[in-house]
Amino acid sequence: MEEEKQTRKGKYAADFSSFREAEARIRPFIHKTPLLSSESLDALSGRHLFFKCELFQKGGAFKFRGACNAVFSLSDDQASKGVVTHSSGNHAAALSLAAKLRGIPAYIVVPKNAPKCKVENVKRYGGQIIWSEPNMQSRESTAAKVLQDTGAVLLHPYNDGRIISGQGTISLELLEQAPKIDTIIAPISGGGLISGVALAAKTINPAIRVLAGEPKGANDAAQSKAAGKIVTLPETNTVADGLRAFLGDLTWPVVRDFVDDVITVEDNEIIEAMKLCYEILKVAVEPSGAIGLAAVLSDSFKENPAWKDCSHIGIILSGGNVDLGVLWHSFKR
Amino acid sequence: MEEEKQTRKGKYAADFSSFREAEARIRPFIHKTPLLSSESLDALSGRHLFFKCELFQKGGAFKFRGACNAVFSLSDDQASKGVVTHSSGNHAAALSLAAKLRGIPAYIVVPKNAPKCKVENVKRYGGQIIWSEPNMQSRESTAAKVLQDTGAVLLHPYNDGRIISGQGTISLELLEQAPKIDTIIAPISGLPVVRDFVDDVITVEDNEIIEAMKLCYEILKVAVEPSGAIGLAAVLSDSFKENPAWKDCSHIGIILSGGNVDLGVLWHSFKR
Repeated sequence: MEEEKQTRKGKYAADFSSFREAEARIRPFIHKTPLLSSESLDALSGRHLFFKCELFQKGGAFKFRGACNAVFSLSDDQASKGVVTHSSGNHAAALSLAAKLRGIPAYIVVPKNAPKCKVENVKRYGGQIIWSEPNMQSRESTAAKVLQDTGAVLLHPYNDGRIISGQGTISLELLEQAPKIDTIIAPISGGGLISGVALAAKTINPAIRVLAGEPKGANDAAQSKAAGKIVTLPETNTVADGLRAFLGDLTWPVVRDFVDDVITVEDNEIIEAMKLCYEILKVAVEPSGAIGLAAVLSDSFKENPAWKDCSHIGIILSGGNVDLGVLWHSFKR
Repeated sequence: MEEEKQTRKGKYAADFSSFREAEARIRPFIHKTPLLSSESLDALSGRHLFFKCELFQKGGAFKFRGACNAVFSLSDDQASKGVVTHSSGNHAAALSLAAKLRGIPAYIVVPKNAPKCKVENVKRYGGQIIWSEPNMQSRESTAAKVLQDTGAVLLHPYNDGRIISGQGTISLELLEQAPKIDTIIAPISGLPVVRDFVDDVITVEDNEIIEAMKLCYEILKVAVEPSGAIGLAAVLSDSFKENPAWKDCSHIGIILSGGNVDLGVLWHSFKR
């Protein structure tokens, strides 16, 4: 699949000025999400935790920021035929909503095994669904056909400078809301969120640490860091349905150079963290969204001397789109 | 049960100055809770809705405001023997936490059928539980005995001017966060002072409450308890929508009062 490659002054896909532009561009459309804190969770973790509630973002996840920035960056000419993507997740709904706000069509290729609530979101925001088989080849070929039929602009879920710049606006808000933060933990899948968050945060405070949370059953980012190049997996196996993508050629360099570590956790740790979010924070987070808390509570984080001075930690609760039935059965396990 | 009756200049249990005092008194301890909004819920209701998230308050419900105001209003003498109450709900945990922050004991009479998560909250905040049978007579007589044994101060869950003043600080925040609000909807349980200041009571069925809870989870992404979702149920009810008296209510503040719910109970409600 061809992505719109952004050529920028620096060597990375986004920079300080692209973050500031994105912030101004998306400001009329997004929610500035609140920070929550809990003394109970501080006691449990031994740190001061600040939860950035991107699950309250429009469309129920942070994806709307990047989608908005991309859609509203298009010239009228480019936008006129609409936008297309393939996504089983939050990017699909986010793009549908951004397109609806701009008054252009959104063609969303959705694999047949996509979570029901995420499909409902696409419909609610006016996206036009084209079904594909649940494998990458079918997703891509179906998207290519739609592209050909409609002439729409293809917008990748994460490997795109405009998407990365949109996600980076989270750091701008977070560090304004809690300037004491010395560490940020975000989920990692294709790397769009963490690339934006890491680049933007380190521009503001070069000493800040940025860590990624990843499922052990989808630990391609951890393997990539260890290998020094992009590693992909033949299959993924995790309850965190939003974290199954692999790094792209724009996100990998940022992850390589700006993400200090990838902390991998088991599914049962993710579910435990979800329970804590529900029971203590009172937020309905999806599994992918809770992984930052799982990472902070994990032995590998607690026992690593490199992170003993991380005292004020921003955790990004990235999304809240979860089928309540799936949720309940996870909790009962 | 004897309540501490507040005699105030006006005829009601709280007034502007008691609210302002409460705000200053509890400010170091409480969370200033956020407002959430959703265009989907605005479309569904035909109004602009602003959700005041008291479920994010310490202890998981708004009760902490009143409990804090009451506990920190006590003189050192009054406070020295601790506080006591009987409650199956959020007031129990709120009082435990407020007492813990003041460094005094909290004796909580809890009926045996209290929700598990609310009992857990009391323990988590250091409240000392004394069990009673699940009826009002047993709750009151057990509380009377604890009172006698400890000399602690009895703090009623709601029928107390200091408690009412604490809860009123919600309005001070809400109207500062969203000055356009022309209507506020809140759950009602044992609240007094209803006769003269509450414009209407909207009653809803349990299935409407559960539907509203689902919307809170699925659209707002907040884990609200049934009592906490009732404001949204009210706004979506036919009796509200069709009442000409409320046709001009366009900017509505809804108080999501609490989020302490057993996930098992929740799930079985949703499956009904």
